[in-house]
Amino acid sequence: MSARRVAVTGAGVVSPLGTTLEEFQRSLAAGRSGIRRLAPELAERSGVQVAATIDWNPTPHFKEAEAANLDRASQFALAAAAQAIAASGLALEDADRDRVGVSWGTGMGGAQTQDASYKQVYGADEWRVRPLTVVMSMSNAAGSNIAVRHGLRGPFANYSTACSSSAMALGEAMRTIGAGRADVMIAGGSEALLTPGVLVAWQALRTLAPADPADAAASCKPFDKRRAGLVLGEGAAAFVLEDEARARARGARIYGVLTGYGNSCDAVHMSRPDRDGQIRAMKEALNEARLSAQEVGYINAHGTATAVGDVVEAEAINAVFGAAVRDVRVSSTKSLHGHLLGGSGAIEFAAALFALEQGVLPPTGFLEQPDPACPVRHVAREAERVPAPRAVMSNSFAFGGSNVVLVAARP
Amino acid sequence: MDTLARIRQLAAKEFSINPDGLDPAAPLDKLGIDSLSFIEFMFKVEEEFGVAVSDEDLKAIRTLGDLERHVAAALSAAGKV
Repeated sequence: MSARRVAVTGAGVVSPLGTTLEEFQRSLAAGRSGIRRLAPELAERSGVQVAATIDWNPTPHFKEAEAANLDRASQFALAAAAQAIAASGLALEDADRDRVGVSWGTGMGGAQTQDASYKQVYGADEWRVRPLTVVMSMSNAAGSNIAVRHGLRGPFANYSTACSSSAMALGEAMRTIGAGRADVMIAGGSEALLTPGVLVAWQALRTLAPADPADAAASCKPFDKRRAGLVLGEGAAAFVLEDEARARARGARIYGVLTGYGNSCDAVHMSRPDRDGQIRAMKEALNEARLSAQEVGYINAHGTATAVGDVVEAEAINAVFGAAVRDVRVSSTKSLHGHLLGGSGAIEFAAALFALEQGVLPPTGFLEQPDPACPVRHVAREAERVPAPRAVMSNSFAFGGSNVVLVAARP
Repeated sequence: MDTLARIRQLAAKEFSINPDGLDPAAPLDKLGIDSLSFIEFMFKVEEEFGVAVSDEDLKAIRTLGDLERHVAAALSAAGKV
């Protein structure tokens, strides 16, 4: 018996481009960037000038006392998951919730809570921290909060593989349903780590873009000759993944079918990307999806806008797609929503689904001078509207050499 | 404001409940306060009153009334009342 197919029946987004899926899509379609300057003192001291931040107001989502006991990353996760579940039309209270699980991804978990405790101990020399510090900051807190909130008693997992974390969470959730171990999975990822300590650590890596002097929103320019590095972001995206037969039986809206998941490790270097590892992951995803390269209409690239990373990814895409590289459109939406690190795979899967379901290909913002070393067919500056493609791909490549590729196809 | 009223107010804020409805003699679990939530709450009570409640004393606290007596005793021992 072949594995069950996995439909996406709900999606929710909390992002620098808006705190609903629809706002996120509108921003992508308009090529609007959520990148902005950091507060002057923080920028001055950390050296980090820009980030893609969210003006987050927890009030509509949580009672005051409740919000105080949830790290920002968990708040984003719960809000995104609630949107996805509502959009799916699932009546979870009537479902067999032993068969509904959570698969989540995050790089640093409750980083702000951790930061606050360190500040207290090392900064203020007050050796007394909140008792909830452990359960608020642990890596699995966001996913566990989703399970607790909705009473989801099925398989639970939390993936932490830096920038591929939430793509892996989606892929593994697909496997879990495919293998018959769950009927529905809430899958995605969240990140909220823009603390002074984390910012300065990233700055030390010399991989962050400075502010574009003319327009801070345009600071991240993947695939452009002028690219100067990545811009950190924050947020969450969540999806309801569901056994396709079950989704059809209840007449659910199907955004797309998650048909391919590639997972490989470079195993050569902790931070330098490797073409071959990326190729293996893309090929595995296409093979599993039983698609030829020609059938993929859009790739949401990892495209962090680093000097080396964009070139290696473009080479890998060329190697996998061959002659089809002339037709497949490629963009990096990190130019608009920033790099959500552990949340990036999930939010970019939302961007890829937008292309798949509605034929709106989100652009690489601010791409005016394509680097000839990155020879792919760019969606530059403005979204393209095309007949909805047969399939889309989303790439997520991480420090540590983890490569995850997701492929979704039309239902 | 007396000690119990201040504790009630803190509890009402922490647990999003109406302070008027809080029975100081009711067991904490009947108020929907589990052990982890109670430890976090105690942290805030200690901050508010500037006192420390020992692990041993903590075990003896089963109601908000118990808590008030411990806090009052600690305040008195610290010469704060």
